[in-house]
Amino acid sequence: MYMKKFINDPKQLVPELLEGFTLAFPRHVKLSGANTIVRATPKSPGKVRVVTLGGSGHEPGLSGFVGRGMLDVSVAGEIFAAPGAVKCIDALRQACSGGQGALLVVLNHAGDVLAANIAMQAAERENLNVKMVLTEEDISSSVGDRRGLVGCLAVYKVAGAAAEDGQPLEKCVEVAQRMADNMRTLAVAVRTATHPATGQPIFELGDDEMEIGMGQHGEAGTGRMGLKSADETAEIMIGQLLADLKVNAGEELLVVLNGAGATTLMELYLVFRRVTQVLQSRRIKIARSAIGEFITTQEQAGFQMMIARMDKTLVDLWDAPADTPFFKML
Amino acid sequence: MSDVIRISDLRRMFAQAAQQIRREQDMLSRLDCVGGDGDHGSTMVRAMEVLEIEMNRESDQPLHDRLKDAGWSVLAVDGGASSALVGTFIAGMGGEDLGQESDCKHLAASFSAGLRAVEKQTKARPGDKTMMDALAPAVQAIQSAAESGEPVRLVFESAAEAARRGAEGTRDMVAKYGRAKFLGERTRGVPDAGATSIALVFQGFREAFSERKEA
Repeated sequence: MYMKKFINDPKQLVPELLEGFTLAFPRHVKLSGANTIVRATPKSPGKVRVVTLGGSGHEPGLSGFVGRGMLDVSVAGEIFAAPGAVKCIDALRQACSGGQGALLVVLNHAGDVLAANIAMQAAERENLNVKMVLTEEDISSSVGDRRGLVGCLAVYKVAGAAAEDGQPLEKCVEVAQRMADNMRTLAVAVRTATHPATGQPIFELGDDEMEIGMGQHGEAGTGRMGLKSADETAEIMIGQLLADLKVNAGEELLVVLNGAGATTLMELYLVFRRVTQVLQSRRIKIARSAIGEFITTQEQAGFQMMIARMDKTLVDLWDAPADTPFFKML
Repeated sequence: MSDVIRISDLRRMFAQAAQQIRREQDMLSRLDCVGGDGDHGSTMVRAMEVLEIEMNRESDQPLHDRLKDAGWSVLAVDGGASSALVGTFIAGMGGEDLGQESDCKHLAASFSAGLRAVEKQTKARPGDKTMMDALAPAVQAIQSAAESGEPVRLVFESAAEAARRGAEGTRDMVAKYGRAKFLGERTRGVPDAGATSIALVFQGFREAFSERKEA
């Protein structure tokens, strides 16, 4: 397969994309050091900073959520690869200069966790007030082994809102952890993406196949099957998610559908329609929902479905104002 | 045995290791297409070239401080798990006092310290189809050859051989760690890219001492 992408030097992909991104949203974000995105106007001192890290090539994630009410700092790595630990340490130092400490939100992927752990050990040596919350909500593998997918969006949102509200670090950690513990995600892929730096497809999938349980970078799941309709796919996925989270009638959920890059909003609305019907039939309420592209994988076709059990505090934090390039709450 | 290890030896070791990785960059990336996203070769080239440059820097620091600084420079590379583990290993080697000049036994202790540092950061162990399958046996080979008083040339010969066998052994394994673990059985039949890299690095180390006469 021949790669058709508008790129320049593959080695300069990440700096060039981050430069373009910050030029596009000068009111919200700016670059601070190599490949680190911060708010254009820092949060007032005396408030907790929320920091994240992760590979690039998933735009608008993760840097697209830097802004008022969500992230303060996003440390970007290479295409699909974690950033170096040194940059993460620098970001934590900078975040802690605000005086109230920092919350580091990390998606469970081997490289990201390594970088984060090395940075956290350095933070401890320097007596920085940093706490880490790991997101690991992908139900396609067993507990303890689960990847972090689009659920990070909800964690950024509630932790960011608590921090903006001036809550202490312990409180921000508590709501972030509660959100993380109560969310589940499942992904499906129908067509692969090309790695923009190598030009190679990141996985193989037959023309008439789909795979449920696909990771963020095309890591295979376990459910390879023939292509299904929107309704059938929605039913399989929501069924597995509800069972894993053990959702009971009467409970309230946040539902997020995250397009992988090439799947249309049209398709996502068809899926959401069926999800809503299934939930209604089980007397489960949709408290809030978000449908769109939050964390993509190039031109991969497919989507992630995320559900989270919500309580009043989490709903209030979700509803709190946010103004970032790719997530706004008015 | 009075095999003296100097900065000139470290320079040759890392120059040869980088050369090995550069030569096999495309092969490493192809292996990574099976379990990862096909960028392992370019990531390892970046990491090894950082080490090469750091070793060539003019400085009167003791050897262990040079290793520590070089490791942290690799930890600054945006290379996901691979560069984080290589950086951790080299920085960890710097935890053992080597002075301005050292000998085989101290160098062996420094390799062991590097391995311990890596073991603290990852739960992966030999058998999981990762870098550890080459790294752990190579370090053990260095340790036992140095303890029995082998000359440095033979120490690194056995290390390179142990790493090569370890990497080759990953061919029949199923990945249990990192991104590749989600592919399960599909990873069987192809050696692990990370373990193959480590075997090449130790092959470079072996070549750095291949001309060394017995002391």
